[in-house]
Amino acid sequence: MLSSEEFQVIGLSLQVAALGTLIGLPIALWIGWLLAKSSIPGKPVLDTLVSFPLVLPPVVTGYLLLLLMGPDGPIGRLLNSAFGVDVVFTWVAAALAAGLVALPLMVRAIEVAMAGVDPRLELAARSLGAGPFKTFFSVTVPLAHRGILAAALLAFARGLGEFGATIVVAGSIPGKTQTMPLLIFNRIQLGDDAAAVRLIVASMVLALLALTAHQRLARRIAI
Amino acid sequence: MKETCLSLKVSKRYPDFSLEVDTSFPEGITAIFGPSGSGKTTILNCIAGITSPDDGEIRLHDRPLFSSSLGVSLPPEQRHVALMFQESLLFPHYRVYENILYGFKLTPPERRRIQPEHLVELLELGSLMERRPSSLSTGERQRVALARALATSPELLLMDEPLGALDIALRGRILRYLRDVHRELETPMVYVSHSISEVLAIADRALVISGGMQLAFDEPRKVLLEPYVHSLVELGSVENLLDAQVVEQGSDHSLADARIGDAVLRVTGVPLGVGAGDTISIAISAADIIVAVDRPSRISARNILNARIQGIHQVGSNVLLYADAGAPFMVEITREALETLELREGQEVFLVIKSSSIVVLD
Repeated sequence: MLSSEEFQVIGLSLQVAALGTLIGLPIALWIGWLLAKSSIPGKPVLDTLVSFPLVLPPVVTGYLLLLLMGPDGPIGRLLNSAFGVDVVFTWVAAALAAGLVALPLMVRAIEVAMAGVDPRLELAARSLGAGPFKTFFSVTVPLAHRGILAAALLAFARGLGEFGATIVVAGSIPGKTQTMPLLIFNRIQLGDDAAAVRLIVASMVLALLALTAHQRLARRIAI
Repeated sequence: MKETCLSLKVSKRYPDFSLEVDTSFPEGITAIFGPSGSGKTTILNCIAGITSPDDGEIRLHDRPLFSSSLGVSLPPEQRHVALMFQESLLFPHYRVYENILYGFKLTPPERRRIQPEHLVELLELGSLMERRPSSLSTGERQRVALARALATSPELLLMDEPLGALDIALRGRILRYLRDVHRELETPMVYVSHSISEVLAIADRALVISGGMQLAFDEPRKVLLEPYVHSLVELGSVENLLDAQVVEQGSDHSLADARIGDAVLRVTGVPLGVGAGDTISIAISAADIIVAVDRPSRISARNILNARIQGIHQVGSNVLLYADAGAPFMVEITREALETLELREGQEVFLVIKSSSIVVLD
């Protein structure tokens, strides 16, 4: 069975994936809406940019994140002077890495869900006095809610497995930023095959649960 | 001319189509009539703020909604213009009452002139309030959509083929609701349709457009006199859509006498529960009315009305007569019949209508 230390790592992994999804969700909703519903110029550019984390080596994504969030990075410096916090090499950095790497998946799924909402319903809302925000939250999001939920679950599942970007921006600090994939890598390196197999089975079970939930939602959308 | 409600000067160019309109609508119900692809919906979209004209000015009660010279283009939600579509487009995730209250809640209290309770009563929606739109019939959905639009107390109600998805019986019923609503609330309406029967039944005046150009703007009956309008009208489909008041229920309950203006008609197929004093909607196809110069006797048709011919208009190979029989009737006859009977304007004739040709629309 799993040791208490391993249970803690699973807990941390769930926490990291959840926060990453939560941070990514509003951004994915916004970008998904821009892609599906707006007529902004430069849409093809945005479309390409969004897919970047999907095709870049996660290590590169992590390094870019490190440049941004590090003590000398623009966002890192801002956070440090405003709140006196350093994000890099904390579990929050791991969550950011998970969220960013999962963002393309989330955006695509949300874009598809929103494109399925009849634009004339949104027009009807506008003609009834609703501004763009009210229309978004009272018509677009509720009617796409299953797709949005499915997108979040997919991102969560992807976040659970995040390795490359995480190790660059958050390190692999036991008890602090060491998530399941990092611990598995560590155990394999140490030659502790028994522990590695235990953790691999555990992560497969988690991934299976998240994917099953996602598929059930996706099927209900199709109907 | 009554006070101007909407002034409209719009030009919009597309690669394969351009729209040029310069007119103004008084209060009341204005129809925009024309074949499909004529630019009717584009005009509506320009008024509602869905489409921006390339050039021009749109003013509602002297308030600019769009002006290329002033650089004004209000977003749809600030125009105080409500829109009703051919498909009701109710919000499927809200119940009926939530749909009706959606726009009402967004209307600032000082602009609320129409109360939702009043609309529910007028449109007889009381029993539907808790239902989901997916469980409603097409006619019920359009009534809810009408209530939802009017609950915003709009300064103008735009309707884009609102009866297009309904069968003839429902069309008559919704038209009656529209007339009731207009009489009670006096909301100016713009009614887009390609059905001349609907335009004649509901509108105070009609703007005729074709190929993006305005051809005529006058009372619906007069507009129909324009020769170029005739090519747009499909004869055989012209219906007299009328409201009649039941005067007396016959001994056999499906028969009744109903009054339209000064004319009294014997109608069949009156639904159960309709009694004296109730209003019913009826449809009589213009082609189903027979014109007689002498009063026919010993004839099976139950309705013989005294009438005076007010207008004779050739429409293709046929002729459309306007006859006043205490109420206005449109009658379609052949040219041969016109010539043989030597009919002329001002002549007294008899309109013969079988009871079974009168369709009760309830």
